[in-house]
Amino acid sequence: MAKAATKVRFYRFKNRLKEKCAGLGTGSASIPEELLAEAEAELSKMSEDYPDWVSSLIVKLQEQHGRCVDTPDKRKEHFLEIHHMSHDMKGQGGTFGYPLISAFADSLYSTTQSGSLYTDNDVELIKSHIDSMRAVIRGRVSGDGGDIGKQLTEGLNKAIEKHS
Amino acid sequence: MAAYDFDRVTVLLAEDSQFIRSLLINSLKILGVGRVIPVEDGSQAIEFLKLVKTDPMKAGVQQVDVIISNWDMSPVDGMMFLRWVRRHKESPDRFVPFIMVTGYTEPHRVVQAREMGLTEMLAKPFTISNIGERLSLIIERPRQFVHNNSYFGPDRRRQDLPHKGVEQRVLTDKSEGVEIVRG
Repeated sequence: MAKAATKVRFYRFKNRLKEKCAGLGTGSASIPEELLAEAEAELSKMSEDYPDWVSSLIVKLQEQHGRCVDTPDKRKEHFLEIHHMSHDMKGQGGTFGYPLISAFADSLYSTTQSGSLYTDNDVELIKSHIDSMRAVIRGRVSGDGGDIGKQLTEGLNKAIEKHS
Repeated sequence: MAAYDFDRVTVLLAEDSQFIRSLLINSLKILGVGRVIPVEDGSQAIEFLKLVKTDPMKAGVQQVDVIISNWDMSPVDGMMFLRWVRRHKESPDRFVPFIMVTGYTEPHRVVQAREMGLTEMLAKPFTISNIGERLSLIIERPRQFVHNNSYFGPDRRRQDLPHKGVEQRVLTDKSEGVEIVRG
């Protein structure tokens, strides 16, 4: 009788990565806490430069917003650029201690996703997001930002309500 | 508990954001990773892996042990890169652990990455602990690879949960058409 055709193949290999990192023993190993703490400290150091870096991105967002105003017929491509940039910013703010940047960028990401009608209202809404992010960085509003953070979030939510 | 020694480990890191790239390089170095090869997008990563396969001396490494890649990059994004690693005949190691770093957390995106053969996902914004957890996971809990007519990648079933009702998983190791490859 002919051998049945192979429907599925399972590959079960030796754990070579573990051998490389923890030797041939069977016990489990871990990343030393002090190294994680050292990496955290390095991250904190880098976070000091984050506001300057993100400011340059906010300037680029402003430029794109200006183009949305000046060349309405090309709004689709400007929105796409803003969409990409907000996606990046959404993914970074929280890591460097600025979750409000992540939250506002996330909202901007939703505002500019495909399906937008590229109206003047949408363009105003982009501006509200940029203004909110600028306020976060200008005031160095890190963490949840306490009362100021709450005010900024409420301010943006009101703008969203007004322009949606 | 013993500590990992990552000194002989090589990580290929594809990330287009210079700021995040620096953060990841520094973090991996502090954790003791011997070689971190940074590239700026999927196409550079693919070129490097081709070199590892054809001329490891020139590449400076015999093998890449872990890939960490951003998803949203241009011109070749992380998903296209993952597809190449898992499926292309020029890929030097179709089984290499692949960690996707991404701000895309919508369920359909997660499913898309899983179906392409992702090993682990690291959601942005991430913390240092998140990086450590993903590294530990790929070392301590590697999954068998599955190859059938519609999928190639790490076993998507991470747990063996008790199942109520009729057992519908018809294939076992001994079933006809099942082949086990050990190595």
